[in-house]
Amino acid sequence: MEYFSLILPSLLRGTVISIELFVATLIFALPLGLPIALGENSKVAPVRWFCKGFVYVFRGTPLMLQLFFFYFFFPIYLNIRWNAFPVAVLTFVLNYSAYFAEIYRGGIKSIGAGQYEAAHSLGLSKWQTFKDVVLPQMTRIVIPPVSNEVITLVKDTALASCIALADLMRVAQSTVNRDGTLTAYIIAAGIYLIFTAIATVVLGKMEDRYSKYEEVA
Amino acid sequence: MALLEMKHIVKEYPNCKALNDVSLSVEPGETVAIIGPSGSGKSTLLRCVNCLVRITSGEIELDGKIFASSNPESMVGDRKGAQIADKSGNTEAQYLPEKQLKEAVCETGMVFQHFNLFPHMTCLENITYAPIKVKGIDRAKAVSRGEELLALVGLSAKRDEYPGRLSGGQKQRIAIARALAMDPDVMLFDEPTSALDPEITGEVLSVMRQLSDANTTMIVVTHEMGFAKEVADRVIFMNEGRIVEEGTPKEIFEAPKSVRLKEFLGAMLKA
Ligand SMILES: Nc1ncnc2c1ncn2[C@@H]1O[C@H](COP(=O)(O)OP(=O)(O)OP(=O)(O)O)[C@@H](O)[C@H]1O
Ligand SMILES: [Mg+2]
Repeated sequence: MEYFSLILPSLLRGTVISIELFVATLIFALPLGLPIALGENSKVAPVRWFCKGFVYVFRGTPLMLQLFFFYFFFPIYLNIRWNAFPVAVLTFVLNYSAYFAEIYRGGIKSIGAGQYEAAHSLGLSKWQTFKDVVLPQMTRIVIPPVSNEVITLVKDTALASCIALADLMRVAQSTVNRDGTLTAYIIAAGIYLIFTAIATVVLGKMEDRYSKYEEVA
Repeated sequence: MALLEMKHIVKEYPNCKALNDVSLSVEPGETVAIIGPSGSGKSTLLRCVNCLVRITSGEIELDGKIFASSNPESMVGDRKGAQIADKSGNTEAQYLPEKQLKEAVCETGMVFQHFNLFPHMTCLENITYAPIKVKGIDRAKAVSRGEELLALVGLSAKRDEYPGRLSGGQKQRIAIARALAMDPDVMLFDEPTSALDPEITGEVLSVMRQLSDANTTMIVVTHEMGFAKEVADRVIFMNEGRIVEEGTPKEIFEAPKSVRLKEFLGAMLKA
């Protein structure tokens, strides 16, 4: 018990960093996925290729490799020193926006032609159609798959420990290395579980809120 | 003067000619029923009127304004009629520019086979969205007009319900109210009852009958021969992208002239 209260404060400091990474990733990646998804369907070929290439690369390579790449890229090629945290945020945002883009694209695709035809017949502009017809329906459709990614992200933040970010995972690991007991791992596991549970509940609430107009067929 | 004047409409798809020289003129207040076998071009013709389909050649005039023409002697807005080929080799008639074309589209109200209501909006929101956002009508006015229309289609109680909670017949009645809310000059119905169970088509048809009685200009593509017979002022029979025969319901149903129409009516009676 004494050992527990001894190591808890440093683990909690790590937790704060993990949460910061988690929140920053979502704040940027959730919206960024949308223009990429639209770009993938763009009529302009170079835009389409760029967005498809972006998604292909970031979903097709290990997140850990991407972390190392950006960690060393700035000092080696641009001669700038970046701390681990901004590098981790940048990498996670790019990686997760690629995943979100793919989900959004699927959501947009599943909206039937009839909705666009109705919007056209009522004289809606392209922008009104997107904003008030497509986007709300897409949001409803993508909540479950986005929720899955968000829960994966809770755990994925641990990968940032590989570029020496002092997150929960890294703190737990160094504590275990130093003290030779697994207690820190167990506490860390408990903390991850708590956050997964919170995320599940919050996302479930959102899903309920958006399903109010669902077909009850 | 005719409200809608379609002249020599041709619509070509890469692998077929959906409309082959179709001319149709509709007078204000008239109810026109279009019948014909599957694939004869009925939907295509209707969709040309609200620009969901762009014609290859011909001319469409709505309310005295030509919005599409391939005839160099006609003026489409301030441009001459023409046939325009795009990069992929498709040809289409000269159309009005986007903004003016939208005004023409707003003069038509379309009712679809599968309703196409916006599932994330309540019934009232479905009805008032376009008047408010497209026509810029004052919200309070749009809402009170929306409530009138809900009453007209007999669904005042469903004002704040989402379409997902409605039966097919109710959805279609809301869709009719939504189209009417834009105050269109002509209402277009594309098989409005085909997706409904036979026992509930009546509630939709009776709303349409009411509209027809109130002198709404309507073009109705339908498989409901009873409706065409009783409500239409004129019936048009299409086959293979052409109008084969047209006349009063009496002429079409009691004295069909062409072999194709006789066959078609025979098949419909058996079904
Ligand atoms: N987008 C399209 N691309 C290619 N061909 C099309 C397209 N839309 C319609 N067609 C063709 O045009 C012809 C007329 O189709 P249309 O939908 O107008 O027929 P319809 O009379 O409405 O038939 P139904 O009673 O089955 O609804 C058909 O041969 C159809 O295959
Ligand atoms: Mg059809």
